[in-house]
Amino acid sequence: MGNGSSAIPRGSRIDGAVRIYMPKTRLIARLDIKGPNLIKGIHLEGLRVMGDPQVYAQKYYAEGVDEIIYIDSVASLYGRNSLHDIISRAVRKVFIPITVGGGIRSVQDAAEMLRAGADKVAINTAAVHRPELITEIARRFGSQCVTLSIQAKANGRGGWEVYTENGREHSGLDVVEWAKRTQDLGAGEILLTSVDREGTQKGFDLDLLRAVGGVLNIPLVASGGMGTLQHMEEAIVATKTDAVAIASVLHYGKHSLSDIRAYALARGLNVREL
Amino acid sequence: MNKILYPQSVDEKKYSDDHLGGLDVKYGLPRKVTFCTKCVISNQRPNSAVEYEHREDTKKATIVIDGGVCDACKAAEAKHKTDWALREKELVDLCNRYRSKNGSFDCIVSGSGGKDSFFQSHILKYKFGMHPLTVTWAPHIYTDWGWKNFQAWIHSGFDNYLYTPNGRVHRLLTRLAVDKLFHPFQAFMLGQKSYSPKMACLLNIPLIFYGENEAEYGNPTADMAAPTREWKYFTHGDQSKIYLSGVSLSDLREDFGLKECDLDPYMPADPQRVADSKVEVHYLGYYLKWHPQSCYYYAVENGGFQASPERTPGTYSKYNSIDDKIDDLHYYTTFIKFGIGRATYDAAQEIRSSDITREEGVALVKKFDGEYPSRFADELFRYLSVDEKEMPQASKMFEKPVMDKEYFARLADNFRSPHLWRKVGGEWKLRHTSWQQD
Amino acid sequence: MRPNVVVVDYGLGNLLSVTMGLEHCGAEVELTSEPRKVEKADRLVLPGVGAFKDGMEGLRSRGLVEATKAFCDTGRPFLGICLGMQMMFGVGEEFGLHEGLNLLPGKVIPVPATGVDGTPHKVPHLGWSEISSPIGSTRIWGGTVLDGVAPKSAVYFVHSYFASVGNNSHLLAEADYDGHKLAAVVNKDNLYGCQFHPEKSGTVGLKMLDNFINRL
Repeated sequence: MGNGSSAIPRGSRIDGAVRIYMPKTRLIARLDIKGPNLIKGIHLEGLRVMGDPQVYAQKYYAEGVDEIIYIDSVASLYGRNSLHDIISRAVRKVFIPITVGGGIRSVQDAAEMLRAGADKVAINTAAVHRPELITEIARRFGSQCVTLSIQAKANGRGGWEVYTENGREHSGLDVVEWAKRTQDLGAGEILLTSVDREGTQKGFDLDLLRAVGGVLNIPLVASGGMGTLQHMEEAIVATKTDAVAIASVLHYGKHSLSDIRAYALARGLNVREL
Repeated sequence: MNKILYPQSVDEKKYSDDHLGGLDVKYGLPRKVTFCTKCVISNQRPNSAVEYEHREDTKKATIVIDGGVCDACKAAEAKHKTDWALREKELVDLCNRYRSKNGSFDCIVSGSGGKDSFFQSHILKYKFGMHPLTVTWAPHIYTDWGWKNFQAWIHSGFDNYLYTPNGRVHRLLTRLAVDKLFHPFQAFMLGQKSYSPKMACLLNIPLIFYGENEAEYGNPTADMAAPTREWKYFTHGDQSKIYLSGVSLSDLREDFGLKECDLDPYMPADPQRVADSKVEVHYLGYYLKWHPQSCYYYAVENGGFQASPERTPGTYSKYNSIDDKIDDLHYYTTFIKFGIGRATYDAAQEIRSSDITREEGVALVKKFDGEYPSRFADELFRYLSVDEKEMPQASKMFEKPVMDKEYFARLADNFRSPHLWRKVGGEWKLRHTSWQQD
Repeated sequence: MRPNVVVVDYGLGNLLSVTMGLEHCGAEVELTSEPRKVEKADRLVLPGVGAFKDGMEGLRSRGLVEATKAFCDTGRPFLGICLGMQMMFGVGEEFGLHEGLNLLPGKVIPVPATGVDGTPHKVPHLGWSEISSPIGSTRIWGGTVLDGVAPKSAVYFVHSYFASVGNNSHLLAEADYDGHKLAAVVNKDNLYGCQFHPEKSGTVGLKMLDNFINRL
C-alpha cells in the first residue's frame, strides 16, 4: 500500500492506490423547543428553560455546526407544531441543513414546515400511529426529506421499546424492528434518541446504536447521552452512526463546537474540516 | 361500629343539571368553584389536616384564593423577595448549634429516596457538614424504580432506618380509610408523620429536617414565618379523640381485633416525650429556596436518581412522587373528592416555579387529570381486599371484604360532591374546569 | 443598487433557503414563474429538489423551458442547483428517459448503490463531502463561481442521481463518493451548475453565492 505518503486521509480507505471517501460524520446541534424557548431536560423530563433558540442556533452556526435539529416538545400536547416562526428566523442567518420535528401529523404539516424553511421533517408519534404517513411524505417530497425519530427506552429484556409523545407514552413496538420497517416504508434517515441516556451526559447507548445500525442502509443519527468528547469518539468509532446529535454539552457550554471538531480531527475521525 | 356495607349506587338526580341552586356540598367545601388565575388550582383544594381527627363528617379547610391569586402562588411570589442569603445564614447557625463534635448522627432526614429527600440529606451532609440519619416509612407497594432509587440513595452515602409496618394491619387500615374517607394514603401519612419524632426521641437526635413547608401549597401563611412545624401535626395528647382511618381507637380494638402493637406505629408521638427530648422540626424550604425541578436535577447528577420510565396515570410528570403504587389511587381519590387530580398538583407547582406557563398547565390538566389508574389497579384492589383467613374478625366487619373495580367505582361515586360533578349521558363530568373558565 | 437575481419558481424545491442565501450575500431576489421575467433577468438561479421528470414537467407546463434557454443564450450568469443542475443536461434516466434543457451535453444517471469495490453503501449520497478539481483537469477555479474556495472544502450534498458530463472540460469540481467521482460543479461560459446546495453549505456555499452575485 505504500506510495510513500504519510497518514491515510480521514474518511478514506485504501483500495489499491485509490483512496475512497465517504461523506463526513456530521456534528449536529439538537434544540428542543417549548413555546419561544430552548429547553433541556434529563430523560426528557424536568424541562428547563435555557433561552432564545435563535441565539443558540446562530452561535452554533458561527462555530461551524454541520446541521441543526429542532424538536417541538409540546407539539403533541397542543396538537400542533409551532416552530414555523423559529425556523423562518433561523434560515435567514443559518445556512446549513435544518430538520424540524414535533407534532407533524400529515403531509400538509410537512409541506408547511418545508415551506417555512426546513430541509427535513422528523416524525415519530404520528408515524407510530399511522406508518403510511412515512411513505406519503417520502413520495411527495422525497425520502431525503423524511427523518424518522425514534425515542428508545431499554425494556429490561435486552431490547428497547419505542416511546412516543416526547417520551411519555409506550407503544409496544421493538425499536430495531420498527427502524427496519420505517426504512422499508421510505424513511431517509433515522434519528435515534436513547431516553435512558438523554440529558445524563453519561455517554451514548452504544448497544442501541449497534443494534439499530446493523439493520439500516440509511443514515443513522445518534442522540442522547453525550457528556464528554470521548463519548462522541466512542459512538463514531464503535458503531455505524453517521452523525451525532449534541444538546446538553453545547447548551450548558461544556464544550464549544470548535473544540469538539478539533478533538474529532485530532483523533482521526472523518468530520468536516473548516 | 356498624358493619361497612357494600357501596350503594348514588341517586343520580342529585347530579343532574336541573338541580342547580340546590346542589349538595360535601366536606364543607366552598360552594362556588373558582380557580387561581396564576396557577391551575381551584379553591376546593384542602389544606393539610390533622389526620388523627379526620372522620367522615369532618369539614375541610381549603386554600384561599383572594384577588384571583391563591395563597400558594402568593407564597411563591414572596419567595422571590426573600433574602435567601440571610436564610442560609440562619441554617448555618442552626447547623452549627446541632452539629456533632465527634461525627455521630446529629439530625434526622425523613424520606424515601425520592428527589426531595435525596436533595435534603445530600446537601445537609456535603454542603452544611451535618451527619444526617435517614429514616423511611415504607411505601405500601414499592414501584421497581422506587426501590432502585431508595437503594441508590443509601449507596450515595447514607445510613437508613426503614420501618415497614405489619403488612396485614397496614392493608386493613388502608382499606378502612378508603371505605370511610376515600383516602388510601392516610395510613401511610399517619405512620410517616410520627415516625421521625419517635425516632428522634428514641435515638436522642432532636433535630429533624423536612423539605418544603406546607405553606408553599396554601396552608396558613403564618406557618411560613417560622421554620418549625406546629406540634399539632404530629403529636396528640388525648387518645380518646384519635381516629385512624376515620375509625375510633376503641372500635379498632374491639371490632377489628387490633392490638396495641398493631396501632402503635400509627399513633402520634407522645407530646411529653417530644417536649422532654426537645425535638424540633425544621423545614429546609424555609432556609433554602425550594425548586422541585432542581431537586430532580440534583438527585440525578449527584446520586443516579432515575425518573420513572413511564408517565404516572393522571399526570405528565415522571419525577414527582414515584415510589409507591398506591399513589395512583391517592391522586385519583383527590380528583373524585375535590375535582383536583395529579396533573393539577404537578402543573400548579411547576407554574409557581416558572417551569411552565399557565397555558401549558391548563393543557396538561385537560389532557391528563383524573385519568383512571389502570396500570396497577388489579394489584391495588387485591391489596385492599381483606382476607377472611388472614383477618377473620376484621373481615366480618365488611359486607364485602374483597374489593374490586366495581366496588371501587361505586364507592367513588359516593364521594363525589354534587356541587362539583354532574352525570351527563352516563358519564361523569366536572361542572367546573380551569379551561372552561378561561 | 443591489444586484438583481431571479429565482425560478416551478413548483419544486426549497425556495426560501435559496432566497435567504442570496439575500444574505447582498442580492435583491425575485421569485417568479413568469417566462418573460425569467428571460429578462440579470442573473438567473434554477433551484430544485425532486425527480428529473417532475422538474422538466414543472418547467414545461409554465412555458419556462424556452424562457430559460433564451436567458442562457444571452450570456448572463446562470446557476442551476441540485435538480436545477441536472436539468441542464440532455437526458435524465430517473423513472424512464426524459429530455432535459440540453444546455450541456451529458446524461443524468443513478448514483451507484455500491462502492467501487462492490460493497453496498447508502443512497442517496447525503452529507458533507469534499470537492476538488478533477484529476487531469486544467481548469482553475479563479474567476469562476468557485473563486476563493479552498480545494477539498466540504459542501452539503443530497441526491440519488448525478450528471455524467459529455464534455470533460465542463467539469469544474467533483466529489468522491466511495470511490465514484460525482460531478459537483459544472461550467460552460456563463452557465454554472452545482449538484450540492450552496445555500446549505455554510460559509463555503455563501462564498459561491457571493461570487455568483457580485463577481461574474
